Formats: sequence, C-alpha cells, structure tokens
Amino acid sequence: MRRRRFGPSILMLCALLVAPLQTTTSYAAVIGTEQYLGALERERALERIDAVLAREAVRERLTQLGVDPADALERAAALSDAELVALAENLEELPAGGDLLGVLGVMFVVLLVLELLGVTNVFNKI
Amino acid sequence: MQALAAFRDARLSRALTLALAVAALAAAGCAGTPRFDGTSLPAVELDDVPFFPQTEYQCGPAALATILAHEGLPVDADALAPAVYIEGLRGSLQAELLAATRRHGLVPYRLRPDPDALFTEVGSGKPVLVLQNLGLDRFPVWHYAVVVGFDPTRGDVLLRSGTERRRREPLRRFLRSWARADHWAFVAAPPDEPPVTADAAGWIRAITDAARVLPPSSVDAALDAATSRWPAEPIVLYASAVRAGEAGRWQDAARAYAVLLESDPGNAAARNNLANMLAEGGCFGEALAQARAALAAVRVESPLRPAIEDTVDTLERRAYVGAAEPDYCAAFP
Repeated sequence: MRRRRFGPSILMLCALLVAPLQTTTSYAAVIGTEQYLGALERERALERIDAVLAREAVRERLTQLGVDPADALERAAALSDAELVALAENLEELPAGGDLLGVLGVMFVVLLVLELLGVTNVFNKI
Repeated sequence: MQALAAFRDARLSRALTLALAVAALAAAGCAGTPRFDGTSLPAVELDDVPFFPQTEYQCGPAALATILAHEGLPVDADALAPAVYIEGLRGSLQAELLAATRRHGLVPYRLRPDPDALFTEVGSGKPVLVLQNLGLDRFPVWHYAVVVGFDPTRGDVLLRSGTERRRREPLRRFLRSWARADHWAFVAAPPDEPPVTADAAGWIRAITDAARVLPPSSVDAALDAATSRWPAEPIVLYASAVRAGEAGRWQDAARAYAVLLESDPGNAAARNNLANMLAEGGCFGEALAQARAALAAVRVESPLRPAIEDTVDTLERRAYVGAAEPDYCAAFP
C-alpha cells in the first residue's frame, strides 16, 4: 500500500509562492549541493515541490499515529528531502525499532525454537 | 474443546516444522556471507558512555540519548521521546533518529555498512548507534542499541541495550542481527569533527541533509573541516562553492568552480553554477559562454538538464554582444 496523501492544494499554491524566495541569488538556476548529490547518486531529482508536499504528508501521518501536532511539525522539519519522500511513501513499512512485546502466539514459539537453535537472540534481552 | 486443542497442537507442530526449516535456511544463508571473525580487533571499551535504561518500546529515545549525552548534551530518554517516539508504531523510525540528532546541533553520519567501520569508530572513541533485527527477515523484531566496545578474550560485543548497561553479545550473533537490519549504524559527530571512517561524499551528504536545521555557523564549520581533511575532493569544492554563492560571495564561488572545472572540465553542474555566479557579477558574456558549454556537456536524460536550460534561457535574454562589462570580468575565463 503506497500512501500518497499530499495535503490540500492550497499548500501547493503556498509552496509555489514561497519557492522563488528560497534562493538568495537573483539567478535561480544554481544547482545546489542536495540536487547535485541526488543526480550523482542516480536518485530521481527531487523537485522542491515534492519535498514540500511530502513534509506535509509526513507531518499529518505522524499526528495520526499519536504524535503531538506541534512535535510532528518540528520533527518533519528536520528530515532531509530524500528522507521525507521515503517516509511519505511507506512510513508503516519501515523498521520502527521498539521492543519485542508485540511478538505473540505462534511467532513466540517460532522465535523460542530459533533462539534455542542460536539463530536469533531475542530473548537474551529479557 | 478437544478438537480445538488438537487443532492447536497441529498448528504448533506445523509451526515447529516451519521453524526448523527456516533455521536451516537461515544457517545456510549465513554460510555465504564473508567472515569477520574479529580476531584482529583490539580490546576497547568506552566506559564513560552514559546509560539510559529503556522503558517499554522506547529503545529509540534511550539509544539516542546515550550517544547525544556522550557528546555532552544535557538530554535523557524521556526528553527525547517527543522527538522520536511514535505511539502508533510503538517504536522509532531510523530517519527520525537522524533528524533528532540534527536538531541537537550534531551531524548524524551513517557508517559504511561493514564491521570494520563500526569497530574503527568505537576504537576512535565514538559510541555507535545500531539497528538490530533480533527476529528474522520475515518476522522482524527491530531494536536500537549502542555499541561501546569489544572484548576479544571472549569474542563479545559490548552494548548499552534495553535495560542492560553492559550487555555482552557474541560477535557472530551480533553481526547476524545487525546484518538483518542492513548494517544500519550511525554516529553523532560535532560539525567540526568528521568521523574517522567518513569519506568526503558521505560527509558532504550528511552536512547537506542537516543544513536546514543546523545553525549556519555549524554548516560553515562542517564545510571547513571537510576542506581541511579532503582539500582536493571535487564534492568538497562543489559544496563550498555553493555555500559561498548562497552567502553572496560570488567571486569566491566562481573561483572555486573554476578550480573544480580544471580537474573535471565535464562537470556540467559546476559550469552551470559558474555561469550563474558570473551573471551575478554582471559578466554576462562569459556567463553565457559557460552556460552554453554546460548545456553541451550535460547528458540529455540528466535530471540536472532543466536547470541548465534555464540558465541558458535567462542569460540569452540578458547578454548583449559587445555590451560593456565590469573590468574584473576579464579575470574570469
């Protein structure tokens, strides 16, 4: 499931209005380091607008997952463009390091056997 | 009820069979990975790395607090939870640990995904935050911990992990759990101290990703550190030139691009930016020549092409053949 819930279009309008102000030179066609690195790394060149929309999507998703709205805003602001786009696309599928209390039932037995066989080391931490 | 119990037994025995099969496969999979036996590793233990025992699901904030406090920041796990914990996922995302590190004024540097880099960092005095998958590829159990040492006499990795201040994990077990998390690891570096295992491109990437959040003086310090450590690296020259341009120092920027282009004349992005800097100084004739050369050098499918076309278009409207230009323009070929 790919999520693409890029906020309301008023945001896009704001982004378009703000975008030209972000370059400090009067010539807007300087290729910044982030864009240059992106091209070197053969990523899709991220449009500024994609990152702005992704930031909004991530902020909204964090809030839905129980993060305080003010915190979510600051947290989304500290992510890089590439990180934002990755999170906007599949936040739920990424590893979320937590603990093993969510492991239940059959999984418990499977892990216990593997543990005894020395393949995993979940239970060492208890 | 008996039928249900029998059904449960059947499921259980199927699960056990599956578990054994998976174990066999996993063992086979491990045999193919390159061996890192740690025999060459020296003993190291960063005893002064603080410890924050995790509460439920909160290994992310705890591990992050560990490495940030080691850098002298007044943080603890509770204070960091609002910055990285997600109740709905009962955990913390990797990208958010990096982002929170930036918000505390440090540069998160992702390590090369190999044990050498990890233990070299620890040997240099840096605790390393790692992601481990304590379960299986199909049934992951994600966990963040901080590597603080290695004990060669017993072959154990030493970690701040969960509720254990000094957890020992046999090297091979640790490496397997780390490999199942794609060898994900990072250190928190002060802006003026690139980590010992850092390379120029990785450090510039790390600074660039942090630039929106760090104070401008920190970004400058990080770039200066890059320049003194990798003075001739093209990516360092490029990033420094962009920074000079952003600060309005177009002549410094233009000179840096010119140096870069001497060794790498086909660098269309640098040539495009040089054109923009020259235009900034009113040297439209040379700017247009550089912009056209950049367009000729860039591949048709390059994602950078639109910006270069933009430069050419803008300059074609501004440049007049034979128009008077400032004298200093002669200094920029």
